[in-house]
Amino acid sequence: MTELTLENVTKRFDDDGDVIVAVDDVSVEIDDGEFLVLVGPSGCGKSTTLRMIAGLETVSDGQIVIGDEVVNDVPAQRRDIAMVFQSYALYPHMTVRENMRFGLEESTNLTDKEMDSRVEKTATTLEIDELLERKPGELSGGQQQRVALGRAIVRDPSVFLMDEPLSNLDAKLRSGMRTELQRLQEQLDVTTVYVTHDQTEAMTMGDRIAILNDGELQQVATPLECYHRPNNVFVAGFIGEPSMNFFEVTLSDGQLVGDDVTFEYPLSASIRETLDSRSKLVLGIRPEDLEIVDRAETDHDFPAVINVIEPMGNENNLLVDFLETEGETTFNVIVDGMRHLTAGGRYAVRFPESAIHLFDRETGTALHNRQVENEPELLGPRA
Amino acid sequence: MATADESRQTIGDRLADRREQLDLTRVGLYAALITLVGFYLSPLWAGLTTAFKTQAGFVNTTPLEPPTPEWFTIAPWADAFSVMQGGLINSITFVLPATVLSALLGSLAAYGLTKLSWRGQVGVLVLFLAGVFLPYQSVLVPLRQFWSAVDLAGWLAFAPFLANRADLIELTITHTAYGIPICTILFRSYYKAMDDDMIEAAKIDGASAFGIYKRIVFPLSLPMFAVTLIYQFTQVWNDLLFALVLVTSRSNYVVTLSLNELQGAMAQEYNLQMAGAFIAAFPTIIVYVIFGRQFAKGIAGGT
Repeated sequence: MTELTLENVTKRFDDDGDVIVAVDDVSVEIDDGEFLVLVGPSGCGKSTTLRMIAGLETVSDGQIVIGDEVVNDVPAQRRDIAMVFQSYALYPHMTVRENMRFGLEESTNLTDKEMDSRVEKTATTLEIDELLERKPGELSGGQQQRVALGRAIVRDPSVFLMDEPLSNLDAKLRSGMRTELQRLQEQLDVTTVYVTHDQTEAMTMGDRIAILNDGELQQVATPLECYHRPNNVFVAGFIGEPSMNFFEVTLSDGQLVGDDVTFEYPLSASIRETLDSRSKLVLGIRPEDLEIVDRAETDHDFPAVINVIEPMGNENNLLVDFLETEGETTFNVIVDGMRHLTAGGRYAVRFPESAIHLFDRETGTALHNRQVENEPELLGPRA
Repeated sequence: MATADESRQTIGDRLADRREQLDLTRVGLYAALITLVGFYLSPLWAGLTTAFKTQAGFVNTTPLEPPTPEWFTIAPWADAFSVMQGGLINSITFVLPATVLSALLGSLAAYGLTKLSWRGQVGVLVLFLAGVFLPYQSVLVPLRQFWSAVDLAGWLAFAPFLANRADLIELTITHTAYGIPICTILFRSYYKAMDDDMIEAAKIDGASAFGIYKRIVFPLSLPMFAVTLIYQFTQVWNDLLFALVLVTSRSNYVVTLSLNELQGAMAQEYNLQMAGAFIAAFPTIIVYVIFGRQFAKGIAGGT
């Protein structure tokens, strides 16, 4: 049973006298067998966090606990972890078999026979048993990726660390490996920390997602919770593709009034109560929650024109603009793929009140999130 | 139509002109190259012909003339070899360890300076760099004084076999020390380009710092070893200066010293000296042939 806990972990780099805080007071508890995805834009400190867990970077402040041992001062060699690198980092002069055996030879007392049987078993699981006597230079990118994975799995570590392991694969292979990795992780039931900048990977793979920005932890929650109940504007905008639409609005007389747009949106009393008497707000709504109707009927409908239609097959991606306004206010709407709409046509766009998010404009904190009907699904099986 | 014909003609003419020009530059290029090849090969050729001529042949013909049967002899080769035999053996016994040791230690030092992190690396690197630029001549006197003070032969008195060869051991240590800086710098640039992820992967796989060197870094730096081995071998083999100040007993003469001996006090026997020079140079050529392919790889920076 291996839990991995980060307690107030901070990493400071000294850059010619300037102190740069790469990771700022991050605390996460990762359960035994859990798949946690660390996600964020590049330079947010996610890789540094992973490297601290691996023992490749020192921890400036706070503690990293694996099982029940504080590992801050334990060298990487003795942490019983395995890591998959973005570059795969295979040993080019060794065959696949030797690559996979290396860790066993260095960190266990197994006999040659036991090592070989473990290597072969893992290779069979990963379908690379045909490649055992080849060298990395003779393998394709996807095969190298599998070998890198095999090298980690064969050691049967207590924690897996993965640093953007799929980002060097082409798109098709990547989505295949995504499911396979998930299946493997479930089968092995090893605590895993997976770093990526790709929110799709985060959404599809993780039991929980930890979102980092500027070295600070924004939210740790299940993918659906991050999606439907974001802590702040950053999480709301980062998770989801295309991302959430944001409008700067001010609350006056029970109505949200657009700052740049002619937009008056009556707000029900129950939502107004959650706003903590803030009036400078950001209204957020996901593209798929917006509806296109023929003409404005309710006071939550606004006349709009469709600028661009991107047919994706299963859905149509629309770029929409309010009609009675000036300047750039384009936003995204997603509608069913079979729905017939004309670009340049005049319609109305409906903002259902149940789907809107409201954020404090100054701090970015979420004040009101959308209604969710299926609460248990949102919190996931581990809640 | 007439104009079209004319223009076609001019194009044809121009093409012909160009071909002529092209050929001329080609001819010029090859002529220049052949001249240069001749220029650089002529001393070698003269040396080789001289080595196969009798003394009378050398006096009566120009050096570039090949030996006619009248003047042909291989006696200089036999004579030179018999004089230099001891020197050749002595040289091999000290050059091989000095070469291997400086390459190995240089590689280890470079590994420590690139792939391990510790305080004060820059200072140590500066010392290595300074070592590269230290001229032989500037250390001759302190070097002689140092080895006189150390009295290696005295230390080795318990083993007469080694004590008799103390000069060669001194040469080995001196050349190893002198070779380490350049080897370190050569390996350093090679290791800096080596994938850090791979080293970190080995670390996470449980390998110690030395284990990583032994199993990952060392096997991957064989092309660079070829470079340093060839370079160091040639350097140490051809050195006369250190040998002159460190070798005192005639039985420990190295090949450069015995080549120097071929220079007679009274009459200059050029054929003998030339044959000796070729004999002395032969081992370096062998080394280059053996490691040549790896050398090219190392220079190109491939792994």
